[in-house]
Amino acid sequence: MKLYTGGHLTFYMPGRKPTLELPLSEPAPLREILARVGIPLAEVALVALNGEQVEMDSAIIQDADVVRIFSSVDGG
Amino acid sequence: MYGTTAKILRVDLTNGKIETETLSEDFYRLYPGGKALAGHILLNELPPHTDPFAPENVLVFANGLLTGAPISTATRYIVSARSPLTGGYGESEAGGFWGPELKMAGWEAIVVKGKASKPVYLWINGDQVEIRSAEHLWGQMAAEVQEAIRSELGDAKIRVLQIGPAGENLVRYAGITNDLRHFNGRNGLGAVMGSKNLRAIAVRGTQRYQALAYDAQTLLGIGGKLAKSVKENPLSWDLQDRGTPGLVEPLNTGGILPTRNFRQGAFENMDEVKWEVYEKELLTARRTCYACAVRCKREVTVDGRESAYGGPEYETVGAFGPNCGVGDIHAIAKANELCNAYMLDSISCGVTIAFAMECFEHGLLTLEDTGGLDLRFGNAEAMLEMIGRIARREGLGDLLAEGSKRAAEKIGGEAPFFAMQVKGQELAMHEPRGKYNVGMGYAISEIGADHLVVAHDSAFARPDTIQLKSAAPLGIMSALPPRSLGEEKMEMFYILEKWGSLEKVVGYCFFGPAPRSFIPVEDVLLSINAATGWNLTMEQALQIGERATNMARIFNLREGFSRKDDTLPERLFQPLENGALQGQAMPRDEFEQSLTILYGKKGWHPQTGIPSPEKLRQLGLDWAIEMLPSGG
Repeated sequence: MKLYTGGHLTFYMPGRKPTLELPLSEPAPLREILARVGIPLAEVALVALNGEQVEMDSAIIQDADVVRIFSSVDGG
Repeated sequence: MYGTTAKILRVDLTNGKIETETLSEDFYRLYPGGKALAGHILLNELPPHTDPFAPENVLVFANGLLTGAPISTATRYIVSARSPLTGGYGESEAGGFWGPELKMAGWEAIVVKGKASKPVYLWINGDQVEIRSAEHLWGQMAAEVQEAIRSELGDAKIRVLQIGPAGENLVRYAGITNDLRHFNGRNGLGAVMGSKNLRAIAVRGTQRYQALAYDAQTLLGIGGKLAKSVKENPLSWDLQDRGTPGLVEPLNTGGILPTRNFRQGAFENMDEVKWEVYEKELLTARRTCYACAVRCKREVTVDGRESAYGGPEYETVGAFGPNCGVGDIHAIAKANELCNAYMLDSISCGVTIAFAMECFEHGLLTLEDTGGLDLRFGNAEAMLEMIGRIARREGLGDLLAEGSKRAAEKIGGEAPFFAMQVKGQELAMHEPRGKYNVGMGYAISEIGADHLVVAHDSAFARPDTIQLKSAAPLGIMSALPPRSLGEEKMEMFYILEKWGSLEKVVGYCFFGPAPRSFIPVEDVLLSINAATGWNLTMEQALQIGERATNMARIFNLREGFSRKDDTLPERLFQPLENGALQGQAMPRDEFEQSLTILYGKKGWHPQTGIPSPEKLRQLGLDWAIEMLPSGG
């Protein structure tokens, strides 16, 4: 899977880079994947799975998926 | 007295008189700079119903208490006057270097009255103040004027605050810039400067804030600690890494990216204007404001060369991108440069052009009206051409220079429905149908639609977030849904509004203190007390913010504003057309009920929104009770 982070979630990514490729041998819950990467789940406000907004709690990710996650953002 | 120079520079441009006023500590404790100082001056020195463009309008430039302190984000000053855009209390804040330089020159504020017979600029070199001719500068773009002033005064370190041709031409949303990159954009205060024939204020100072502080060591300690924490706090790190243009994609994903004049919440060409494209196509460097380690400002290329005016913030990307249906990051950067050179508020300008585009698509404006411009959504070329026409007041630009509310009244028909404004000021690029407290802020703000009244709902949407936890010292403990109103949400609003107002009094940027960003609430209080020695409690500090808000409210009531003005554009009570929140509308009845609840919490009459005499006494504003209209 390809993971992309926006807002302050990138802070928690390896090397503070916004993109990460994670091979998945079988479908896995997004919560587990993010916890493994070290993203605090409380900070995840929005998830787009292959371009469609989904709920983090129920999302199951396949190896070919593109997941973009965002923290809350405001102001400016 | 500590923490302040306590001096106000008073300039009457009609007769050239320059005076110094020294504030007492008793006064300064109640009105310690920024919004509070400006509010007091306007209420007491500006007669009600003064034409905003009359020489009698009072123009205030007021530093915050901490402006210029060696603390990241404590850089802000406000400009205030009766607004030509709203007709009410006018206010716009900016960071940069000019405010700190004014403090270093020994001044907390400048109060300008009257009108010069010919274009002039002020030259403030410490305690030496001079009114100089600006006839040779009139009509020139901002970059040329800054260069000319620095050159003729022989000092490249001079900080120049100025208007541009838009302010000279009295465009009702003309702004003010300092260092070409920092903007008092909102409320048309640049046009007030223009009406006084005042093109610029150049400043040079040599003092240091530390010399004013009660406890300079503690202040420096706080500043040093906070500077180190910028890279270790996710919120400030993100502001440094991407800055505000990083907002585009998350807002689009959430269905709250204002698109095509707020008809939609998602933009099909978002991939052309999101951060990665900005970074790849435009970004050349990151810059900052005085003593600020956050470095959230962006430098960009425009037309293949380094722009003299900095890069677009999110608000500008949103206003000229999705909200005008334009998916071209280079056109957006060009729009930003044009606005900053002519010195127009990029929010009001973009939203007014989007309004005109919708009128054009509905046949309310024709090719004849637009002078042949095909002003449909998505036409970047027409959008860019219209910016110059507005600034120069040419053709349709002359009408649009009046702002969307006045233009809509003149165009008639459905046009008022397309004018996305509150109290005459255009909405910022935040969609209230996904963030109800942002909508409440738009409605109740004394300056018209403003997105910086309270930290946005999304910060408090879930338990255990960094932002919710950081708000605990303010008494905000529970997560609440962004699309909710009611008792608890209004309590949250009330607290956050006082806190936000305090920031505008003491000079902190919205991107400094928690809960929006990285400076702990306790450190804000510590910094005020280290600067002044006042030992304020949190309750006393919040009361300073509340006092300032109430003065602005009284100003507006005196000008004839009432509850009917604390509302939202009708479109926001209608469903969004697309995106993740397709079909969602602001619930009208709940919104009105919550406004009543909020009035009550603020000590205002629940129906009329007029502050009670008891509330004003509690805030030390006894003197303002006689200014209240009947019905409170």
